[in-house]
Amino acid sequence: MAKIELTRSPFIKNTLKSRYPQLAVFIVMLVGYIFAILAGLIGTPVGSHNFSIVFVWIAWWAILILVVVPFFGRGWCAMCPIPLPGEWLQRGAVLAPPDKKPKWLNLRVPKMFRNIWLQNISFLLLALFSSVLLTTPSITGIVLAAMLFAAIGLSMIFERRAFCRYLCPVGGFIGLYSQAAPIELRIKDKQVCVTCEGKPCYNGSSAGYGCPWDVFPGGLTKNTYCGLCMECIRTCPHDNIAVNLRLFSADLAKPSTRMDEAFKAFIMLGSAMIYAGVLLGPWGMLKDAAYNVGSNAWFVYVFIFLAIIFGILPGIFTLGIVGIKSSTPLKHRFASLSSALIPLGLMFWVAFSLSFVLTNASYILAALSDPLGLGWNLFGTANTTWQPMLTPILAPAQTLALVGGLIWSARTAQKAANEVKVSSIPMVVYCFVLTSVMLWLLL
Amino acid sequence: MNPRLSLLLFVMAGLVVAFAPLPDPAIAPQARTFRMDARQFAYSPSDLQVNLGDTVTIQLLSTDVVHGLYVDDYDVSVEADPGQTATLTFTADKPGSFRFHCNVTCGAMHPFMIGKITVGTNNWLFRSIGLAALAIAGVMVSIKPKA
Amino acid sequence: MKRPELLTRILITVVIVGVVGAPLYIWSRTPLIHAQMSENGGWSPDVLRAEVGKPLHLKLTSDDVMHGFAVGQTDMEGIDVEPGKVSNVTLNFDKPGIYTFYCTRWCGLNHWRMRGTIEVSGSPSEPEPATVPLYVSLNLDIDAPHDARVIPSSQPSAMRGQGLAIELPVNLSAEYYHAHSPQQAFNDLSNPSLTDSQRWDVVAYLWQSNTDQESLANGKQLYAQNCAACHGENGAGDGVFDDDLKAAGDASAQTMTGAQDMKMQTPANFTDPTRILGASPALLQGKILRGGMGTGMPMWGSIFTEDQIRDLIAYIYSFQFDYEK
Repeated sequence: MAKIELTRSPFIKNTLKSRYPQLAVFIVMLVGYIFAILAGLIGTPVGSHNFSIVFVWIAWWAILILVVVPFFGRGWCAMCPIPLPGEWLQRGAVLAPPDKKPKWLNLRVPKMFRNIWLQNISFLLLALFSSVLLTTPSITGIVLAAMLFAAIGLSMIFERRAFCRYLCPVGGFIGLYSQAAPIELRIKDKQVCVTCEGKPCYNGSSAGYGCPWDVFPGGLTKNTYCGLCMECIRTCPHDNIAVNLRLFSADLAKPSTRMDEAFKAFIMLGSAMIYAGVLLGPWGMLKDAAYNVGSNAWFVYVFIFLAIIFGILPGIFTLGIVGIKSSTPLKHRFASLSSALIPLGLMFWVAFSLSFVLTNASYILAALSDPLGLGWNLFGTANTTWQPMLTPILAPAQTLALVGGLIWSARTAQKAANEVKVSSIPMVVYCFVLTSVMLWLLL
Repeated sequence: MNPRLSLLLFVMAGLVVAFAPLPDPAIAPQARTFRMDARQFAYSPSDLQVNLGDTVTIQLLSTDVVHGLYVDDYDVSVEADPGQTATLTFTADKPGSFRFHCNVTCGAMHPFMIGKITVGTNNWLFRSIGLAALAIAGVMVSIKPKA
Repeated sequence: MKRPELLTRILITVVIVGVVGAPLYIWSRTPLIHAQMSENGGWSPDVLRAEVGKPLHLKLTSDDVMHGFAVGQTDMEGIDVEPGKVSNVTLNFDKPGIYTFYCTRWCGLNHWRMRGTIEVSGSPSEPEPATVPLYVSLNLDIDAPHDARVIPSSQPSAMRGQGLAIELPVNLSAEYYHAHSPQQAFNDLSNPSLTDSQRWDVVAYLWQSNTDQESLANGKQLYAQNCAACHGENGAGDGVFDDDLKAAGDASAQTMTGAQDMKMQTPANFTDPTRILGASPALLQGKILRGGMGTGMPMWGSIFTEDQIRDLIAYIYSFQFDYEK
């Protein structure tokens, strides 16, 4: 497998190893995050002119789904501010480990929660309330604050980054999609780890902390749970850890057989399609139902949403693969073959987000100059009028993303099908049908 | 068949599907008028169909608060206060499907107040589906050697 | 603790305190007037204070939809108050008193209820005696039905009326016009040589001579901005809120006095000759000034100037009479 070891470059290795560049990014993100909470709580209630809505759901989301996830996998986790206050308290230091470690509970997360089901649920909670969340600054502010305090609280009780690994709604899907990304963190030589004493990459040392993601770097074969925090590069005494550039979706060659991850793929695929229809479509009734939380229409909307994600999409998929004679049990096949939906889901989100972002990006300039809607004009752009951007290229870009995603998923399906010795045709047709529906919804 | 050759053939087929000019059904352009209600947060009707070259007039009637209507790509817009029907007229000289949005903040779900106008046939949608079909045909053709 | 750790902690603390403290401080020192739909609270604050001769600087923002701001009984053009943005306006007062400010862009069924007051204090002067509206001095019961008993069979033409009026003793004075309904004017024109239709034409001419093109244009604009949403763009009582008003009426059959007959009604149809030809300008002025006492018709007394009401009334009659352009 073609790989380029990026950490061969001393510049890259030292930048990643040093705590200062990372800290600088952390401070900027933390300041932005806290300001977003403040803006949500005291700024104008008009979403399109409030920093919290514009910079979280338009600017940050655009960069996340269009650039960071496809090209850097869990790159956002590497700079996310949410775990920081809790982690600094937990560690008793902001930079290198202190001499005297503070005594927090450091409990291990109970086994029954050591999966991504809680993340599936937290993502769904946000998704079902998304019409209100995406448009109401105070709700965004409260949710951001809640995540911050949850992370702090969990850090006081559990070891490592419990919020990030097991609760964060964003982490759930960027972990899944990071399998498709072209960068990875891996050990260089397995033998070195076999003879290593103490395994400081996992247990920590004076040079750094044990993996906050509860991953043993020596056994890391997929990107899914590695948050690219670089602690292991700092602690490894044998310089055996590297960050590599590699082919896209290399991890999908060894598909996971976990049900939680399988359903995550369907959750993401389904919600992208539902968002495209409800938020970007011309059907006012659907928007009313999605927005009027608590009304009868909303309960019907929730029911249909969940039925699509947990029933219809996986159900049809299973019908496609159930007839195939195979030695692998159905559950196994279901999980590993559904990994083929990962590239498709990612590109569905890219296509959906392109429309939403290009239409509303002009709000970013206005919110930059007047983040709270108080009449400021910090950069002179406060009166930028709303104007959709680059609309002529939108449709071709969406087609490229969706057809590209289809090809990508079809080839992944081929390889996954080969692994379990079945035909990939039902899955490929399934992907084609869903892609056509998404094209119809967006174009 | 040589994989490179088949890839080239598929790419060329893709270019044809994407860009080959389609015959224009010669329909004489006419003037069309639509009475459209705007409310928080939907238009009614919200899905319009006209022919290429038609002169389209939309009479926008806001029924609760001030709304606007902005047509993507055509870059034309109008604003209507309740009680004052506003008129937008433009020539539908670009074929395809275009979304229109409300461009006067009208409440929480304002960014999602969207409608669609299709001028002629939505050829790009059909081309895209065609490309998708071609894509999986290409992938399936490459299955055979591996099995 | 090592030096870098300490410095970093200080830096982080300072930066976070700054990013929270500075905006919070500036926010607390920015006095904004929030415009909200009436259903969401209306103007906040809704009572302002000012002084004669001292400019009053206001910062206005909308918390939901497009609103506007203007002070009643002045010639002030409405200033748009946009959602999420701040509009600045400076007001100057030369007379003390209580002024009403109001929303100038339709923002829902209860748009007209979106009002506040500005209490202007200043050199104490004798409060100007209010002019008694004509309907009061005429002792008109503006709530009593005022259906015309005779109506024209087709729309009367003022031009034809003008030609006919040359031969007749017609009272074109403003006093007569204001105090009489077209029906009454019709009755007063008892001349055996005229047909009913011709008499109506003369009434139309009488009405037209009490206004002019500019007033009609002004009335038309005032109507479009303030009345059309309920009364309909063509005066037929079929404005965009007519169904909401009807629903509100069906839902609540109570008024201040508990009287059934004053419940929310559908807006008046100005194209209905029976209803309008029996109403004098004084009566219409009364309705506009005082409002409908629970019927949903707003009271405009503190908003429109006398001239504006006069122009509006002239425009309303133009639904009944053909004034050649």
